[in-house]
Amino acid sequence: SASRGRLEGGATAQQYEKMAALSSEFGDLVQIKKQLISVISLCKERGLVHSVKWASELAFALKPLPMSELPPPAPLTEEDVEDLDALGLAKSYFDLKEYDRAAYFLRGCRSKKAYFLYMYSRYLSGEKKKDDETVDSLGPLEKGQVRNEALRELRVELSKKHRTGELDGFTLYLYGVVLRKLDLLKEAVDVFVEATHALPLHWGAWLELCNLITNIEMLKSLSLPDCWIRDFFLAHMYTELQMIKEALQKYQSLIEAGFSKSTYIISQIAVAYHNIRDIDQALSLFNELREQDPYRIENMDTFSNLLYVRSMKPELSYLAHNLVEIDKYRVETCCVIGNYYSLRSQHEKAALYFQRALKLNPRCLGAWTLMGHEYMEMKNTSAAIQAYRHAIEVNKRDYRAWYGLGQTYEILKMHFYCLYYYRRAHQLRPNDSRMLVALGECYEKLSQLSEAKKCYWRAYSVGDVERMALLKLAKLHEQLNESDEAAHCYIIYIQDIFSCGELLEHVEVSTALRYLGQYYFKNKRYDEASLCAQRCCDYNDAREEGKALLRQISQVRDQGEASSADVSLPCVFGSLSNNNTPVRRVSPLDLSSVTP
Amino acid sequence: MASVHESLYFNPMMTNGVVHANVFGIKDWVTPYKISVLVLLDEMTISKRMTLLERRRLNKLILPLQQVPPQLHMMVVGELKDMESFFDTLPNPFSDAESEASKTSVVGLFMRHMLLAYNKLSFSQVYKLYTALQRYYDDCLGSQPGPPTAPPVDADMELSEMELTSTEDGAEGKMDKEEPDAGPMQYSELLCPLSQKQAEYFLARQAYLLKNDENKALKPAALQEELNNMLKFNPDFAEAHYLSYLNSMRVQDVFISTHSLLHYFDRLILTGGDGKSNGDEGYGRSLRYAALNLAALHCRFGHYQQAELALQEAIRIAQESNDHVCLQHCLSWLYTLEQMKGSDSSVLTEDSVKMAAHFGLPYLASLGIQSLVQQGATGGKAANMLMDALKDTDILHWKHSLSELIDISLAQTTSIWRMYGKSTMALQCAQVLLNMNSLEQVDFGVQQNNTEAFAVVLCHLAELHAEQGLFGASSEILKHLKERFPPHTQHAKLWMLCDLKIQFERAMNDGKYHLAEPHVAAIAALDQMEGLYRKGLVMKAQNQTTDAYRVLQRLQLLCEKTKCTEMIIRVMLTTAELHWESSGFSTALPLLLQALVLARQHHLQALASETILHLAFSQLMLGVPEQALNILHEAMEPILAHGALLDKGRALLLVAKCQMAVSGGREDRRTGLEQAVQTLDEAAAYFSRMGCKDRLRDTHYLQARLHHALGHTAQRNECALLFRMVDQELPPARANLANRL
Repeated sequence: SASRGRLEGGATAQQYEKMAALSSEFGDLVQIKKQLISVISLCKERGLVHSVKWASELAFALKPLPMSELPPPAPLTEEDVEDLDALGLAKSYFDLKEYDRAAYFLRGCRSKKAYFLYMYSRYLSGEKKKDDETVDSLGPLEKGQVRNEALRELRVELSKKHRTGELDGFTLYLYGVVLRKLDLLKEAVDVFVEATHALPLHWGAWLELCNLITNIEMLKSLSLPDCWIRDFFLAHMYTELQMIKEALQKYQSLIEAGFSKSTYIISQIAVAYHNIRDIDQALSLFNELREQDPYRIENMDTFSNLLYVRSMKPELSYLAHNLVEIDKYRVETCCVIGNYYSLRSQHEKAALYFQRALKLNPRCLGAWTLMGHEYMEMKNTSAAIQAYRHAIEVNKRDYRAWYGLGQTYEILKMHFYCLYYYRRAHQLRPNDSRMLVALGECYEKLSQLSEAKKCYWRAYSVGDVERMALLKLAKLHEQLNESDEAAHCYIIYIQDIFSCGELLEHVEVSTALRYLGQYYFKNKRYDEASLCAQRCCDYNDAREEGKALLRQISQVRDQGEASSADVSLPCVFGSLSNNNTPVRRVSPLDLSSVTP
Repeated sequence: MASVHESLYFNPMMTNGVVHANVFGIKDWVTPYKISVLVLLDEMTISKRMTLLERRRLNKLILPLQQVPPQLHMMVVGELKDMESFFDTLPNPFSDAESEASKTSVVGLFMRHMLLAYNKLSFSQVYKLYTALQRYYDDCLGSQPGPPTAPPVDADMELSEMELTSTEDGAEGKMDKEEPDAGPMQYSELLCPLSQKQAEYFLARQAYLLKNDENKALKPAALQEELNNMLKFNPDFAEAHYLSYLNSMRVQDVFISTHSLLHYFDRLILTGGDGKSNGDEGYGRSLRYAALNLAALHCRFGHYQQAELALQEAIRIAQESNDHVCLQHCLSWLYTLEQMKGSDSSVLTEDSVKMAAHFGLPYLASLGIQSLVQQGATGGKAANMLMDALKDTDILHWKHSLSELIDISLAQTTSIWRMYGKSTMALQCAQVLLNMNSLEQVDFGVQQNNTEAFAVVLCHLAELHAEQGLFGASSEILKHLKERFPPHTQHAKLWMLCDLKIQFERAMNDGKYHLAEPHVAAIAALDQMEGLYRKGLVMKAQNQTTDAYRVLQRLQLLCEKTKCTEMIIRVMLTTAELHWESSGFSTALPLLLQALVLARQHHLQALASETILHLAFSQLMLGVPEQALNILHEAMEPILAHGALLDKGRALLLVAKCQMAVSGGREDRRTGLEQAVQTLDEAAAYFSRMGCKDRLRDTHYLQARLHHALGHTAQRNECALLFRMVDQELPPARANLANRL
């Protein structure tokens, strides 16, 4: 399981501190490479596979070292030599996942390496048994009570050694993990910080720290070792805390420092772009990543989300088939297939695959949320609520699940009830217009129009992704007979649509044009009115009205009524008056006339 | 007056106001504890000579379990096969027909359930069960070293649940025992205590206590911690969220309570039945109640607009699915909300009562009637109608055993009598409630719950005693109140206000205005109008006439908005007194007459008498003492019968003054004066009992003058001495002392 596999790390700490101190700057990439190579061998000896992977990926991104520069293997101590055989045996059992057996043969060893592997084997053995036991528990309440029985003993032993200062970087890390598993989070944070000081290059400790830090204040209050790896940590942390701008900056500087080939950084940046919904950027990065690392499965679920949002069926299908070929029993693969089926509107099958993902890893947050979406599509609201609630239980900060819950209740026509959920989602993503629009719609349904107006305006101000907020705001103003405000909103809306050069729903553009035509006509601005009316004629549903308006205008003009000279009225097509074909790709719209 | 709606909310563990512990489905799992029960039952069926007929014998039967039956011991110290053989031999007792535990009895059913559940266990589960049993056994013995005589704590609990009665504090005792030694170190260790049944019992128990006897429930923080633990182990245990909602309501935590409530309903929706059906049961139903509960939540926090929106939503959904019961609940919240907002909701309430009666919801109907009575009482409805209505609902309550509503009804009657100024009747009603045993099963040795009704009645009692100058008794009652409703609990505000009012009155009567002043702020914090009124009183007493007048004007506007007749009349009386200060006796008259009309309309006898006293005084000052005496006769009777001690004294003093004034110019002057002396003696007695020195001084002064006029030198000297003694204690008299009733 993932939690088990995550655990990693270890070498003699003293060497390590020296190395880290040698170069805390990026300037010396050779030094960094050397450090990485030695930490890889240290972690490998201790079975910390994920840290090995991370460090190796990073090392791969750097230039190869000449023969003479390769760091010598860590010198053996006398104790190490004593334990050499036992360690070799135990490591082989450990690799075969026979943890109890490994621990048994390590019990008398005195070297630090052996001690770590001994403790780590015991820990993993407990975790494995815990997972196995969850299957046959004795009752519903028992279910939550299944624990890793080894944790307490490990904690007692480790805390004793901790007090006497006998723990090296790897054992400190293990101690921290044990504490976290026992829900002693505060102590765990302290120990992890200590571990990063003892052994800055062990990525596992940083990653654990990442999961325990809940806000920026907490992050600032920690005293972390001054090492190049800290920048990686901070960048990761910023992504987690949704401080995307800062994260992107950090990653950019890392790339500039010489890590430009690192797939890890590329994937992280892609994820960050995904989080701020910069879909194009994210897509291109993911494509680049696929080129460099075609058999990669990590983060591919995020990639599939992006493809899903853009409705890129062939690409998604290709990705899904590709991943199935690589490994079909991976959480990410299941999520991708789920997304694929969802895009094809086969929601039962999609839900099935998300369920499979959850069986592979019950703490897989994305799958819960996505399953909720599928149930929503199937109109099975109660199952959807269940799925979303599970997602929230796994991570309280999952705004998608909160938003999904809100949507579910909205479908059930409980508009007041869903406000709470939308508000939660909005709190987590204050600058996401979708929640604001949803809130606005609910307020509108509840006839709280002033609240609704505020929401729509705010949604527009934070950058409306779906471009619906302004239109809704305009309609609201229209309803309230605030024609100036309505016209103003329509103008900005049309400008927005035309300037972004995309063909969005014609219906809405024509509605806006129709309204503006009438509005100008009422205000006796016949030139603008006729322009709008002509534009109306380009749309099927507004053509008749457009023509009728044109006739009216010519009638009025025939009667010799002059246009109003009221310049205070905004004009949308200032410089367009002699251009009769609708221009969408270019935007020669006169923005100056509509400054609010 | 008792607000009757505190308990009107949908509680999933409650129907018609009664909490049912057993609403959770029975889940059959063999646990170590249940094995112990099985062993006990086995023992019982073997020992045929005893029957279950009497509790004493049952206790004897339980003894073997308490002393750890050899079977259990054997199982634990022995091997796995001992447990297996126990289950193999277990069916024997009731395969034979003469067994004590017949197949269909509760006990028989339980044993069969257990056997089935045991047989379903997988290989590793059986072993787990066995180790759990060993641990359980060791824990029980380990907690109490020495010979194995200690009863397992849980055994008491479930037996009492299963069998006859009654020692219900098992769960609590367990909790209490656990908490003190739960240091941070062993914390995570302790996180596994409750089985499903125990958890359910714990929740039901705490919910019941929160409603009926908050004092006995766990403290908010401790309870929340317990709930969090429970949820950590089993996030699906939705009821815990509801209790968490109730618990955070206690501490007025809007955030957590909303969160818990919504979480509960999100969870309920999944467990509730077959998923997609929108019918009476299950999913659709819980949606409606979810919206309704949200409305209730906002109501309690005073978010009226939000509450209204939520309520509209609940009503709409209920209407769409034709759920009349839910609609009735909505309606009753609707009128409650209207009432809270201060608008007239009697029509709504009447509708609610009618509909509730039609749909056979006695609880809601009664609540509606009680609410109507409350509105009627403040709105000046005829007293006989109100009393009739209350009587009728009482019949309904007794018929349906709605014990909670019986309490409320009595408290309400007490309040109404008190409002009408019939202190004797109020006293009687209060005593009835206090001497009544609750219909619901309460704790061992205690017959009553600590609900709001009791707090209200006890407060009335305290005030009534204080009015009669029995300050010792009244402070005893307040002490009792403090014990029963500690300051952090929901109903503590009631006695706090009552206590403050009594202290304020005492300080004012003593003439120690500087002592009364700090109470004003405290009163205002609990009750805005009352605080404003008292502020006016203090200002008036301190001769800040203009300020006092301004405060009273403000108060009057406020009262008219909230239609609080009692307060309006009091404000009028105080304003009249302000007019007296500037000798505007004639300007006070129209105000007083208006007050009299109002008081009579609303049957507020005490206030009517008070108004008459004021009128009479004005007339006396205007030089028509005969008239004054005439109308005084009308007021004397009710005052002497029901009035407070101070009112009696004041009335008599006024009578004496009038008598003096009347006899001023007549030939039978002497008899008149002698009469007045007697009246004054009586008044002095009342004043001294109240400890009202200010007025006592006046009385002694008048007495001395009268005796002087009558030529009784000895008595005159005596009274003069008394006057002097009181006078030395008090600050110098105010200039316009004469202008006071």
